[in-house]
Amino acid sequence: MARKSVVIRLAGESGEGVISSGDILTQAAARGGYWTQTFRTYPAEIKGGPCMYQVRMGEDQIYSHGKWVDLLVCFNQEAWDLHWDSLASDGVILYDETAVEIPDEYASRARPVRMEKLAKEIGGSLRAKNMVAVGAVSGVISFDTTPIEELVLRRYAHKQGVADANIAALRAGGDESGDLKGSLEITKAVEVEADRILLSGNQAIAAGAVAAGLEFFAGYPITPASDILEWLSAKLPQVGGITIQCEDEIASISAVLGASYAGAKSMTATSGPGLSLMTEMLGYSGTAEIPCVVIDAQRGGPSTGLPTKTEQSDLQHALYGGHGEAPRVVIAPITVEDCFWATIDAFNYSERYQVPVILLTDQGLATRMEVIHKPDTSDLELWERKTAASVADGEYKRYELTQDSISPMGIPGELNGRYVSTGIEHDELGHPAYTPENHVAMQTKRWAKLDPLKTDLVRHELYGDAQPEIAVIGFGSTYGAVREAVALAKAEGASVGAFYPRVLGPFPADQVAHFTANAKRIVIPEVNFTGQLARLVRGECGLQVESHAKCDGLPFTADDVLDVIMERVPS
Amino acid sequence: MSTAPVTKRKPTDYKSDLKPIWCPGCGDFGVLASLYRAFAELDLDPAKTVVVSGIGCSSRLPGFVSTYGFHSLHGRPLPVAMGVKLANPDLNVIAVGGDGDGFAIGAGHFPHAARRNIDITYLVMDNEIYGLTKGQVSPTSLTDQKAPSTPWGNLETPLNTLAFAVASGASFVARGASFNTKLLTELIVQAMEHKGFSYIDAMSPCVVFNNHQEEWKELVTDVSPDHDAADKVAAFDLALKGGFKLGILYREQRATLNEKYKALVDAAKDSTIEQMLEAFNARKGAAIGKPTV
Repeated sequence: MARKSVVIRLAGESGEGVISSGDILTQAAARGGYWTQTFRTYPAEIKGGPCMYQVRMGEDQIYSHGKWVDLLVCFNQEAWDLHWDSLASDGVILYDETAVEIPDEYASRARPVRMEKLAKEIGGSLRAKNMVAVGAVSGVISFDTTPIEELVLRRYAHKQGVADANIAALRAGGDESGDLKGSLEITKAVEVEADRILLSGNQAIAAGAVAAGLEFFAGYPITPASDILEWLSAKLPQVGGITIQCEDEIASISAVLGASYAGAKSMTATSGPGLSLMTEMLGYSGTAEIPCVVIDAQRGGPSTGLPTKTEQSDLQHALYGGHGEAPRVVIAPITVEDCFWATIDAFNYSERYQVPVILLTDQGLATRMEVIHKPDTSDLELWERKTAASVADGEYKRYELTQDSISPMGIPGELNGRYVSTGIEHDELGHPAYTPENHVAMQTKRWAKLDPLKTDLVRHELYGDAQPEIAVIGFGSTYGAVREAVALAKAEGASVGAFYPRVLGPFPADQVAHFTANAKRIVIPEVNFTGQLARLVRGECGLQVESHAKCDGLPFTADDVLDVIMERVPS
Repeated sequence: MSTAPVTKRKPTDYKSDLKPIWCPGCGDFGVLASLYRAFAELDLDPAKTVVVSGIGCSSRLPGFVSTYGFHSLHGRPLPVAMGVKLANPDLNVIAVGGDGDGFAIGAGHFPHAARRNIDITYLVMDNEIYGLTKGQVSPTSLTDQKAPSTPWGNLETPLNTLAFAVASGASFVARGASFNTKLLTELIVQAMEHKGFSYIDAMSPCVVFNNHQEEWKELVTDVSPDHDAADKVAAFDLALKGGFKLGILYREQRATLNEKYKALVDAAKDSTIEQMLEAFNARKGAAIGKPTV
């Protein structure tokens, strides 16, 4: 019987064609009509080192990358040694015949592929190894290679010889699996009319920012956020905006605040170490009430940590990092599609409430490729900031204490809006003021304006039962695995649901209390060491929770979470 | 610069309602007076002028000016000013601050602002000391100087900020003094009229913790009329020799970062978010987007 989805893992030495094979397969699967999600590990080295590219494809929307590998492709011996224990019980193995020895007990479901030989003989060079491998994979899963051939023709449009050689190598690889050909047949994808796109979390954020009206981006290269700087360097000028690479993250956030002060929608993107450097200026942004959006693609910490691995360990830093108590908003998108919409939310909140907004993704979500519904940008709701242009002459107070605590912001160019922005405590006019009464009034105002974000204004995510016995609470990238696990647990009869706050600061304590009203267990999976979300829920809601924090640098799989939900010993 | 209306603005038009909180006799009063006069001479539109500063005594200056102001964080006026100017090139942007703000905590930004040739003016009130924190040495303090943080004398060599500016690619480098407001006014006017990054080192004595005022008045001389400000080697030579030369050391015309961005944006093919998303399209038969950037 054909499978509804398959998990394919390609592994080998970086630079051997593993990544290009994975990219081709992903693109082809998407164009073949399959929902697709990828998962990669990156070596920290520039060249060489073990790498892995996992592609999960299927006829239904894919929410997580999958734990057990249906088809493992080993480009070298190390690939087998590192990944054999991830094989599903009926998983199939393809391996380079010259480089890998497979133990006898796996022989019946392992077939050698003449990667080097066919690449040289038919493809004309070792570089066609990836096409032989992709051909062999296609054979095992009975995937129609037409989209791959289209891709090759397109990529080498001006090099007919190269295109022909690649297609020949692809076709030659198709029969290499021998009698295992078709053994993991995947169901044919249904023809769909709706538009889908394939992109990474970083790309979705960059595109979301453009959709939100981004005008100025300043950033400093850092893994895994650099894609955003690079994509916007290419694209932002095409809509009249400016992208600049600064000398460090402090300059980046400073330039962002300068641009925002001058009236431009502004953003920067970084990872943990950069967020640390930006922290002082984020306090300024909150105090002087200058809007800005900061993307934090979290990576393994602490310190330089694991730059190419995933972790959710900046939550408390994003919420509380910095001296004093300056207001800010923290958002965590849950899928690649949500990265697009959450970025628009980030700009809306930032502009309306004149506050810094930190958007938390992580290496896993930032770099994975995912097929998503193409966002409909025809009717976007964009919020604008309140400016001094709305104020009658002579009455202007930059930090006026208003009903909703939002004050009119002067934008250079408006004669009536002149003021001096400052991080010193100030009165309504923006003049330095140190009285106890004034400080209390201003701190109250700066925090009170965020109160609407504790209401239904924010779209939080609920999956499964609305008030379950087993209440799962998570944030960000773990959503996909948790969603699949909840579905599996419900199929086993469990009363279970998952609540994902999209806005974590200010924390939706009332919504969490409602969700957990009937809970016998509150389960909190997160990818960090100390259980930061668990601590947050305990502190904000006074609830007893089970922390299931792990910090191995890898995303959760649905099976991991299912074991937690069902209280099983992990397999 | 804005076109002159019938009646030009006066220096007092640039005074804010706040009275400067500096100590009596502080050099920064002379710098502020020069700034008011320069703004009046240029007839800057207060609505289109932004004074950016960092933290320190001198960085309180924006509060005393009636234009827009951005009193930022310690060491950060230059990247803030860059953001302001890139977001709205029509604004007149001047960054001000002290020697500690600009050349200790903020020194990492200086060469980049200079080499980018962002079209802003940077006016440093250099008193060779930390005044606000009560008298510790700064990067421009003299060797052997005794101060609360160097009770046995300063072990370090002072930074030559003029040579630093020339070496970093500043396209306008000058030195003035708070006690010569006529010249300083003129330098600020020329710096703000200059297209590109202009740096002015304004000697501005701290009368409480490092009062060299009388000594400096004796030592200063004008840059020789023979000096060719277009000659970078001569400018560097003059800067390295020191000797309290007041005037313009260096001036060149080269494309500003604003001009380059304008050209880049003008040349970029117009696009829309819809077209950008279309490039990622994955439906059957769609055009093929690149898998990564």
